[in-house]
Amino acid sequence: MKIADCGSTYSKILDLDSGALEIVATKELVRRKSERYEVATGHCARGRCAVYRNELIALAEGGLALVADGDFSLVDVGGRDIKFVRLKGRKVEKLDWNLSCGSTTGATLELLGNYYDIDFSTLPPSDRWVNVTCGVFGMERVLEQISLGTSPEESVAMFLHGLVRNVIDFIGRPAHFYLSGGFCENPCFVLTAERYCRVTPLGRTVLLEGLKKGLE
Amino acid sequence: MTWSRRFRASKTARTRNRHGLTYPVIRGASKRFSRLSKITMKKHPADTVIGYFGFPRRKILRETRERFGPDLPLVDLDVDMGAPDSGILPATTCRIVANVVDNALSLGSALAAVVAAVGEDKCDRGRHAAFLLRKMGFSVIESRFPEEEFESRPLVFSRARLPLREKIDRIMATVVDPSAPDPAPASCEPTHGFWGVPPHDFRILDLFPETTHVYGWTRCVEAGRPSDVELECRVDDAIPTIFFTQSFCAKQDLAHFLAERHRGLAVDCHREINDSILAKVEAFVRLSR
Repeated sequence: MKIADCGSTYSKILDLDSGALEIVATKELVRRKSERYEVATGHCARGRCAVYRNELIALAEGGLALVADGDFSLVDVGGRDIKFVRLKGRKVEKLDWNLSCGSTTGATLELLGNYYDIDFSTLPPSDRWVNVTCGVFGMERVLEQISLGTSPEESVAMFLHGLVRNVIDFIGRPAHFYLSGGFCENPCFVLTAERYCRVTPLGRTVLLEGLKKGLE
Repeated sequence: MTWSRRFRASKTARTRNRHGLTYPVIRGASKRFSRLSKITMKKHPADTVIGYFGFPRRKILRETRERFGPDLPLVDLDVDMGAPDSGILPATTCRIVANVVDNALSLGSALAAVVAAVGEDKCDRGRHAAFLLRKMGFSVIESRFPEEEFESRPLVFSRARLPLREKIDRIMATVVDPSAPDPAPASCEPTHGFWGVPPHDFRILDLFPETTHVYGWTRCVEAGRPSDVELECRVDDAIPTIFFTQSFCAKQDLAHFLAERHRGLAVDCHREINDSILAKVEAFVRLSR
């Protein structure tokens, strides 16, 4: 049995029988017309699964499966949006989903990184930031910085810093939060976020854990 | 085909006039369009109507009907009726105000007059829309709902056990016909709250249980107090509430403040609801039980 979290830019597919995890760019997944899953979540999962699960619910249940704390904040920063749940006494106290303004920043960062050949594993954090109102406005700020003589690496790190500030404001500036999604593997993002609060990355499979929990 | 187009095609095609609008509509025949009053045509061309938006003073609505024709139907211009996009207003205009202008231009000469709420009970953009419509040659009668005319009508629908879509539709119908419903629907204890204005796309309302109470400006309409900010901001602290606004509406300021204060969820939407917004509301309704 296969379950999947089909995000806007990357899809995570877990074979529950073998335990094999496949992470594939969604641009490749959309070419696999016949691929189907038992249970799935994510923007690109509709029409590919027997049972579709709500992403925020999968995130909350994944957090409960992976985190033992009674009270905690968990945020998933994706290519297209930011999903957030805050639990108190292991009950959902607050949730939100940044869909329009402020979104598409993750995908924009990847586009910028590809264009300027940025290696995020070695990119140093920047003390400075640009205002990332949304992906498009943020990209305009990066281009402006580069035209003013800032290096592409520094400019992209400033974009990433702006994105981190958005995320932390969006989730209510907690002292500590758990991070879900591809940015767990981006040291520049995590180090920048740690300028503001403690961060515990949980990896890219939190929503899959939520789907698994829903199967129990 | 979008939901709204599907809906219009399936439910209202038989009642379209030459402007493509659904009129006349007998209340109850279509919940979505029940804000059009039931009429019998007499002196006027068959498709002449009086438009209004917001919650005009009842006296001004009455006087306008006396002046332009008591038999003319009243059409709520705030509502999406499938009018083509006029392109008069910027893309970053609240969809409800854009509906007002698009509907008016689509109706054109069939619109005998527009009764426009332009006071604190509406918004600057509504006032600007009234100004623009007058400049375009429409007969516009402005209304500013004064505190002295505030009513204290019972909140029958806001607290009723009914589908939220029907609840809001019937509340908005009280602008034209404030008579008490007979029989009155049963009330219920709230499990959820919906705060805000009637949305452009009613699909969002279908996610809520029948035990959802209505708050915000829509409740103010039922109470007959459309600019009573104190009442507008009154919610039940223990009830998980969605604070809904159209994108680019000034009420987003209130919605965000109240959502933070009451641990609710602020939701805004431009034009049609998308799957992400529906999923967000669905998650809140389910996880906050």
